[in-house]
Amino acid sequence: MEIRKAAVIGAGVMGSGIAAHIANAGVPVVLLDVVPKDAQGTDPAERSAIARGAIDKLLKADPAPFMHPRNARLVTPGNLEDDLGLLAEADWICEAVIEDVEIKRALYKKLDKVRKKGSAVTSNTSTIPLAALTRGLPAGFAMDFFITHFFNPPRYMRLLEIVAAPKTRKAAVEAVAAFCDVGLGKNVVFCHDTPGFIANRIGTRWMQAAINGALDQGLTVEEADAVMGRPVGVPKTGIFGLIDLVGLDLLPHVGRSLAANLPKGDPVREQHREPELFRKMIETGHIGRKGKGGFYRLNTAGGQRVKEAIDLRTGEYAPAQKPELDSVAAARGGLRALVEHEDKGGRYAWTVLSETLGYAAALVPEIADDIDAVDKAMRLGYAWKFGPFELIDRLGPAWFAERLKQEGRTVPPLLAQVGEGSFYRTDKGRRQVFGTDGKYHDVRRPEGVLLLADVKRATEPLAANGAASLWDVGDGVACLEFHTKMNAIDADVLAMIGQSIARVQKDDALKALVIYNEGSNFSVGANVGLALFAANIAMWPAIENIIQLGQQTYKMLKYAPFPVVGAPSGMALGGGCEVLMHCSAVVAHAESYMGLVEVGVGVVPGWGGSKELLTRWVTNPKRPGGPTPAVSKVFETIGTAHVAKSAAEARDALFLRESDGIAMNRDRLLAEAKAKALALVEDYKPPEPQEISLPGETARVAMGLAVDGFARQGKATAHDVVVSEALAGVLSGDGTDITETVSEDRLLELERKAFMSLIRTPATLARIEHMLETGKPLRN
Amino acid sequence: MKNAVIAGYLRSPFHFAGKGALTKVRPDDMVAGVVKALVAKTGIDPADIEDLILGCANPEAEQGLNMARYVVFLSGLPITVGGTTVNRWCGSSMQAIHIAAGSVRMGAGEAFICAGVESMTRVPIMGYNPSPNPALAKTWPETYYAMGITAEKVAQKYQVTREVQETFAVASHKKAAAAQSGGRLDAEIVAIETPAGPIDKDGGIRPDTNLEALAALKPAFDKDGTVTAGTSSPLTDGASAVLVCSEDYAKQHKLDVLARIKSIAGTGLEPEIMGMGPVEATHKALTRAKLKIADVDVMELNEAFASQSVACIKELGIDPDKVNLDGGAIALGHPLGASGARITGKAASNLKREGGKFAVATMCIGGGQGIATVLEAA
Repeated sequence: MEIRKAAVIGAGVMGSGIAAHIANAGVPVVLLDVVPKDAQGTDPAERSAIARGAIDKLLKADPAPFMHPRNARLVTPGNLEDDLGLLAEADWICEAVIEDVEIKRALYKKLDKVRKKGSAVTSNTSTIPLAALTRGLPAGFAMDFFITHFFNPPRYMRLLEIVAAPKTRKAAVEAVAAFCDVGLGKNVVFCHDTPGFIANRIGTRWMQAAINGALDQGLTVEEADAVMGRPVGVPKTGIFGLIDLVGLDLLPHVGRSLAANLPKGDPVREQHREPELFRKMIETGHIGRKGKGGFYRLNTAGGQRVKEAIDLRTGEYAPAQKPELDSVAAARGGLRALVEHEDKGGRYAWTVLSETLGYAAALVPEIADDIDAVDKAMRLGYAWKFGPFELIDRLGPAWFAERLKQEGRTVPPLLAQVGEGSFYRTDKGRRQVFGTDGKYHDVRRPEGVLLLADVKRATEPLAANGAASLWDVGDGVACLEFHTKMNAIDADVLAMIGQSIARVQKDDALKALVIYNEGSNFSVGANVGLALFAANIAMWPAIENIIQLGQQTYKMLKYAPFPVVGAPSGMALGGGCEVLMHCSAVVAHAESYMGLVEVGVGVVPGWGGSKELLTRWVTNPKRPGGPTPAVSKVFETIGTAHVAKSAAEARDALFLRESDGIAMNRDRLLAEAKAKALALVEDYKPPEPQEISLPGETARVAMGLAVDGFARQGKATAHDVVVSEALAGVLSGDGTDITETVSEDRLLELERKAFMSLIRTPATLARIEHMLETGKPLRN
Repeated sequence: MKNAVIAGYLRSPFHFAGKGALTKVRPDDMVAGVVKALVAKTGIDPADIEDLILGCANPEAEQGLNMARYVVFLSGLPITVGGTTVNRWCGSSMQAIHIAAGSVRMGAGEAFICAGVESMTRVPIMGYNPSPNPALAKTWPETYYAMGITAEKVAQKYQVTREVQETFAVASHKKAAAAQSGGRLDAEIVAIETPAGPIDKDGGIRPDTNLEALAALKPAFDKDGTVTAGTSSPLTDGASAVLVCSEDYAKQHKLDVLARIKSIAGTGLEPEIMGMGPVEATHKALTRAKLKIADVDVMELNEAFASQSVACIKELGIDPDKVNLDGGAIALGHPLGASGARITGKAASNLKREGGKFAVATMCIGGGQGIATVLEAA
C-alpha cells in the first residue's frame, strides 16, 4: 500500500500540524474536527469552522508549519458529522483528538464504518496504551490500528515513535512507516507499548532530575543551563531554556499523566513535584517564549534589550548572569571531568546524569528492543546532542557502574552486563551496538540511507586538508565534505574544491562529485573574519585574490566535465549558497535555508552568486516580460538578504531550479544526491557559457530611485544605500545597453569591482566586525 | 458648433489592489463589464457609437496592445466602433472625455464611450519595466519623484499639517460611508463578476476610521514627513465609463443628459508639487467658461493625497462643503486610469442631483500636470 491520500482527525495544534506536514509531502489530506457547539444552520463554512480556522492559523504560525503557503491548498477542511464520507478515500487516517480513551474509541467506531478496507488508522496519543485504545473494537479494526506519536512541531521535529501490537497487520505499519520516513522525513523509532513510550518517559525523568536538582542544590537558572547546555549538550539550550521553548504550561500535564500510568516505585512517579513557583508562573502567563517570557525573558523596557533570568527562590527577574563555574571549564577535559568536579556545577551534573542515565539503562528492553532506538529518540525528540547510552559511553560504563555501586544505588542489569566494554564500538569500520543478548550487532541503516559518518568510520579520505575532505561514497561517486567552523568557506576549502575536481577528472574510477556534509548547516558562507583581518592591514590585493580564486573555483565546478551535485541541509548562505548555484544539480534537504545574505556584512555576492541568480532570472521563461523585471527581482532578493525558509521556497527565489531535487529525510539526502549524480553521468555535457542582455544605466537609475524611497521612509540605512548602489551597478550590467550582451566573465568582473569598492568602506568593515562579534547584522 | 453632453455614467466597485475583491479580474474584462452596462442603461444604439476612448496609466501587459480595441470586442460593441487607449496618467480618462468633447464640437462623431481602467494589482504602478532616462534623472531628479514625496513637498510648501490632513481623510471616509449606507452610490456601480461571485460594493471605505487611528500610523514615504497611508489614496482596482454625445443626438434619442460640457483645460507645473495642478487647470477652464469660482455649485477634486486636496481647496478658494459630496479617492480609492471618468461622471450626476448650475471636476497628475472640466446643468 502506498499513502496517496490521508486524513487527520482533530484540528488542534498537533493534528493541524501533522496535516500541514502531510501536505508538505505533496499528499492531499482531509482535516476534520467537531461541529462547533454554537453552529446553526447548514452553512459548511460554519459547521467546519474549527478545521478551517486551524488552516488559517497554520498559515500565520511561526515557525511556519507549511513549507510553502500553497501547500495549504492540499488540506481539505471538514467536520465529523457531514464529511465522514471524505475518509473513504484515505489510505491513512491519523487521529489526534483529545487524550480521552472513551472519546477516541467512540470515534474509532465511526471511522471503521466509513474507512477504506485495508486503510491504516493511527493515534497520535502520547499517554494512552495501545491495548486500551482498541479494547472492545472489532478485530478487523484492531489489526489496522497502531500508534504514530509525532513531536511538536511536526514539521520540524524529526522523531516519530511507532507503537504496534503483535497482532497489528505488518503491511499497514510498513506502509505508514515508509511514508513517514521517505515522505515526511521522520526518523521512525519502534517502541513497546509502555507509558510515555521512549522519549517522553526518559525526557520527563530527565526534566524532573534537572529541575529538582537545581532547586535542591541551589543552582540558578543560568548555572543549571550552563552545566547541562554546552558541556553536556542535553540539550544545547539547557533545561530551563528548553522549557521556555516548549512552554512551561505543558510540563505538569505531561508529568502528571505519565506518573499516573506508571507503577508505584517508578522514579517518575516518586519524584513528581509541582513547585509553587512554576504554578505561579503558569498562572501569570510566564510560560516561555509563547507567553510573557519564562525562566528567561527579554526586557525591552527602557529601549534596550536586556536578557533577564528568574530567581528560582524569589520569582524575581534580574539581568542574566554569565555563571563562572570551574566545572564547566573542566568539562573541556571530558564528561567525566565535569561530573567528578567538586563544585556545585559538577555535583549537579552528576545528580542529573546519574539519575537520568541510570533510569534509561534500566528501561531496555522494557521500552524498546535496543539501545540504539533509545539514543535516537532522545537525540531527535529532545534535541540531546548524545543519547543516554552514548553519554554513558563517554563517562565509561564501568566507571559509571562503579560509582553507582559506591553510592549504594542500583546498577541496572544492562549496565552490569556491558561490564568493561562500551555500548557502541567500531569493528572493522562498522558501527556496532551492544544488544540485550550480550552480543554486539552492526547498526543497520534503513534501505536508502547513506551516512557520511559511516563512510568516514570505514575508510580513509581520498584527499583532505584542515578545512575539507574528499571521500569515496561508492559507485564511482566522490563526496566533498566541508568541516570548518560552521562550514565557513576559506582558501583551504576552495583549494580542496579545486583538488576534488582534478581528482575526479583524472581518477578513472570516479565519475561524479557530490558536495555534502553532516554539519548542522551546509555552510554559513565565506569566512569574513579573514577578510576583516586582511582589510585591517590593508592587504587589498590579497582580498581581491581570494575573490578571484573563489570565482575561478566555482566556475570550474560549473564547467567540470562530470556532474557535480550539491546536497545542502540547514543553512546555505552567501558563499555556501553560491557553491550550490554553480553545481550541475542540487538535491536539497527540505529543511534547507538558502540565501545570498552578503549585504548583511556590507558587500555583494562576489563568488558568482550575483551572476548566477541574475542569469537564472533573465533566462526564466516564467517571469514577466521586458528587460527590467528580472533585474528588479534579483535586486530585491539580494538587496534584502532574502533567505528562503525551506527548499520549496528556495525554488520560488530560483536559488533552486525546477530540475533540482528535494529530499524530505535528512538521512536519505546523501543517497539521493548520489543517485542524482549517477543519473546525470551518462552523456554528461557541462553547460554552455551564457551571455545575457541587461538594460544598463536605466535599470541602475530605477533601482536607485527605489532605494531612495526606502531611505526616505527610514527602511534603508545610509550604508544600505551605498551597498545597494554597488549592487545595482552589477545587476544593471554597468554601462551596457539593452542591444548588447554581457558575458559571464564581465559579470564576475563587476562583482569583483563592487566587492572591492565596498570592502574599503569603514561602514562595511563595521558590519563584518559586528557580525563576527554578535552573529547579527549591523544596521548602519 | 455642437455642444457635448454627458448622457450616462457608471463605474465598477473600487477595491484595494493586491488584497481586494477584484484582484482576480482582468482590467479589460472589468472595464468591458462597465461599458456593456452603460450601453444598456443609456439605451443608446451601439451602432451610433463613433469610438471607445479608454484611459489607462500603465498600458502594458493585460492593459497593453491598445486595450480599447479589445474592450470593444469584449463588450460586444459593433465591429465598426473603433478603440483608442489614451494615457495622461491619473488624468487619462478625463482626457478621454476631452477628446470626445472636442470631436463632438468639430463634428467628428456623435457619440463616444469614454472609459478608464486600472488594475493596480495586475499591472504595478511603475509598470513592469521602469526605465527612467538616466541623464534626466541626474540633472532633474524631481521629474522622477515618487508621488508620496510630492505630497510631502506640497504639505511643506502650503503648510498643511498632519492633523489637518487626517481631519480631511476622516471626513472623506465619513462622507463615503454615509453615501454608501444611504444607497447614494448604488446607481453608479455595476456589479463585476469575479471567481468568488459578483461584487457590487466598494471595498475601501472605512466608516470607523478616526483621528486617533490615523495619528498612530507611521509616515509612508518620508520617515520625518507627515503623509501616511491613511492620508493617501490607496492603490486600487477599478473601472469607469461615461457616454459623451452631442446635445442634439441626446435630445433626438431622448437620452438622460446629466450635464453639458462647458469648458476644458489642462496645465503643467513643477513635478515636485504636481498635486497643485488642479488650481491652474481649474482657473483656466473657468476663465474659458467665463465663470468665477463662486459660480461653482459642485466640485469633484480627485483626492490623490489629503495634503494636495487641502492645499488646492484653499488656493482655489472654493467652499469645502461643495467638494466631494460623497467622499473622494482617499476613501474610495484611485485606480489611476479610471479616476478621471469617475469624477467627471460623478460631478455631472451630483450637479443634477443637487440642482446646481455649474460643476467642476479636476485632478492632479504625476509629472506635474493638472486637468479640469467645467460642467453646466443641461
